Amino acid sequence: MKKKIFTLLFVGLMTIFMTACAGAIAPPAPDGAEDTHAEDSDSHDDTEMAEDDAHGDDEDHGDEDMADADMMGPAGYESWDAVLAEAEGQTVNWFMWGGADNINAWVNGPVAETLLADYGVTLNMVPINDTAEAVNKVLAEKEAGQDDNGSVDMVWINGANFLTMRQGDLLFGGWSEGLPNYAFVDASDPSVQNDFGTPVDGYESPYGKAQFVMIYDSADVETPPATIPELVEWIKANPGKFTYPAAPDFTGNAFVRHICYEATGGYEQFLGEFDQALFDEKFGACWDLLNEIEPFLWREGEYPESDARIKDLLANGEVHFDMDYNPGSAGNLIEDGVYPDTVRTFVFETGTIANTHFVGIPYNSPNKAGAMVLANVLLSPEAQLQKADPAVWGDLPVLDPALMSEADAAAFDALPRHPATLSTAELSANRLPELQADWTTAIEQGWIENVLEN
Amino acid sequence: MKRFSKGVAIALIIFGVLAPFIPLLIWSVARRWYFPAILPTEWSLRGWSYAFSNASRLPQALRQSFAVSTTASLLAILIGMPAGRVLGLYKFRGKTLVEFLILAPTIVPAFAVVMGIHVLFIRYGLADTLSGVIIVHLIPTLPYVTLVLAGVFANYNVDYESQARSLGANTWQVIRYVMLPAIYPGVIVAGMFAFIISWSQYLLTLMIGGGRVLTLPLLLFSFASSGDNNVTAALSIIFILPAIALLVITSRYLTGRNASLGATRGN
Repeated sequence: MKKKIFTLLFVGLMTIFMTACAGAIAPPAPDGAEDTHAEDSDSHDDTEMAEDDAHGDDEDHGDEDMADADMMGPAGYESWDAVLAEAEGQTVNWFMWGGADNINAWVNGPVAETLLADYGVTLNMVPINDTAEAVNKVLAEKEAGQDDNGSVDMVWINGANFLTMRQGDLLFGGWSEGLPNYAFVDASDPSVQNDFGTPVDGYESPYGKAQFVMIYDSADVETPPATIPELVEWIKANPGKFTYPAAPDFTGNAFVRHICYEATGGYEQFLGEFDQALFDEKFGACWDLLNEIEPFLWREGEYPESDARIKDLLANGEVHFDMDYNPGSAGNLIEDGVYPDTVRTFVFETGTIANTHFVGIPYNSPNKAGAMVLANVLLSPEAQLQKADPAVWGDLPVLDPALMSEADAAAFDALPRHPATLSTAELSANRLPELQADWTTAIEQGWIENVLEN
Repeated sequence: MKRFSKGVAIALIIFGVLAPFIPLLIWSVARRWYFPAILPTEWSLRGWSYAFSNASRLPQALRQSFAVSTTASLLAILIGMPAGRVLGLYKFRGKTLVEFLILAPTIVPAFAVVMGIHVLFIRYGLADTLSGVIIVHLIPTLPYVTLVLAGVFANYNVDYESQARSLGANTWQVIRYVMLPAIYPGVIVAGMFAFIISWSQYLLTLMIGGGRVLTLPLLLFSFASSGDNNVTAALSIIFILPAIALLVITSRYLTGRNASLGATRGN
């Protein structure tokens, strides 16, 4: 009798496992890279359809045409006041990379306080390791039919993750250009109109800018190489003292793109849609160059799995160079004691790659109005100024000084700058664009096949 | 004397467990610590002051971590005990297959199954809730609880139960006065396993908890991969303290002594 009871309980337990496993096998894992190629040709149609969706959702405002809606308020709202009214009392779950204490402190401190005090919106910052985690979460919700009560209200996003979300129709659209503070953004700036070559089209709101810089320890390297050929020379003359992170590390991929821009004779030929034939023809030279320096890298060609490892290696004198996609990060790391005081940054005479990072709202967020208010706060001159302060974060602003009040513009000019951080003038004189995400994905794959596995 | 040497042995075990964390402790207060310096050249409390600032949201994470891990391990014991009993005491056809299936969640990486589990949990309305996170934590914890208890039951003599029954005990009394006292140390150990496994879940908590459930690993992992050694070290220490406390509390049950001792010290 008792044996039967136990057996029954046991069967119940097994059912739990089986259900969990069966559910697990069904949907394939998302892969931005795969989608990129498959859906590339339809991307324009997707855009139009998704815009229709965004307006269709908003039944109250009926069939107003798009231009009118944009004039009145974002995403078909009657006015910005209507957004504010709806936002009051909402809680915004913002999924963002949470690996920097200064950024977390700023978001959970001044940003959250302003949002609550001025707009009655509560901010719940969700720290994540990798933005893809948030993208996968929205994707899973869509697969499960959770179309209007999703758990992600805002994501900090750009590049391939933005492309994946656009292709999967995972983003809410038609709102970002209607934010009141968008008036301070130079709307004609290509780096605000495009996110890694993908048109933004109102699906995400600019948040900050980043530019790749090379980092070196001036105690070990007197004059940093001015060009990539000089860097190659240096690497060969100083075996074991340079390395870069392996794909899929974000920073490592960006470094490889710099080498490829140089080795293939310039990025200009790759602007626009991905072209497999052109890629196959030109990028051999890049793999050759990278393979040529490989024996001279750290541990005769071992690639650390992340940029964080290289920061450690530089701090401990194992290598003499590092790199970062945030021009202010070296200064912050010196202040935090991670780097020695002698660390400095430089950019190549031929320029370094720059991009814009954004915030997006998932299509199924139940707190879209609150998220828009948050995006607007992030775009305000006050927030952008705070964020640009090296003591707070040191992120490059997205606002155009010419569109701001003179006092605001002067405040940006007066910001202190860490000795390790280059001036905005030095940075902006040497800027290169990012290629479309299809290209960057192909370069990442090409590096794995031709350099790592070679 | 015997008591003393036992004390030394326990102290050594605890030291062996703690020693690897000494660098962690130093890192949490180091500002600059480069090779080849043995000790940091500059000190700072930045890691700790961040950990205890409002920005880190530590109190919420501690509270929810404790709520999830305690409930999940109690549930795991409740569900795992019958299964462990059957596996430990009886032989039946397909037992190997059953054991394999129970082990499956420990073999299959969480990353491979989490998307499917998530979709399922959304359909059942369990996503983004504390109870959903507790239930999903049963998946990695149950195999350990079940197998530990199967081992305990393998050394358990069912004849005592027959004896109690012949003296008129009903099913509940048999469980309460015969079975539980005999397996009690094993239950504690299984519970400790479950707690620690649940305590360190990252991906399952992130996907099922949807950011509304914030546990310590969520705070810790976003720093661990960013190379910020101070904050990571401070958070790591806070993270491992409960595990060490549990080890200290349960260490006496890990000595291999069982049954009668546990019974007299009571429940």
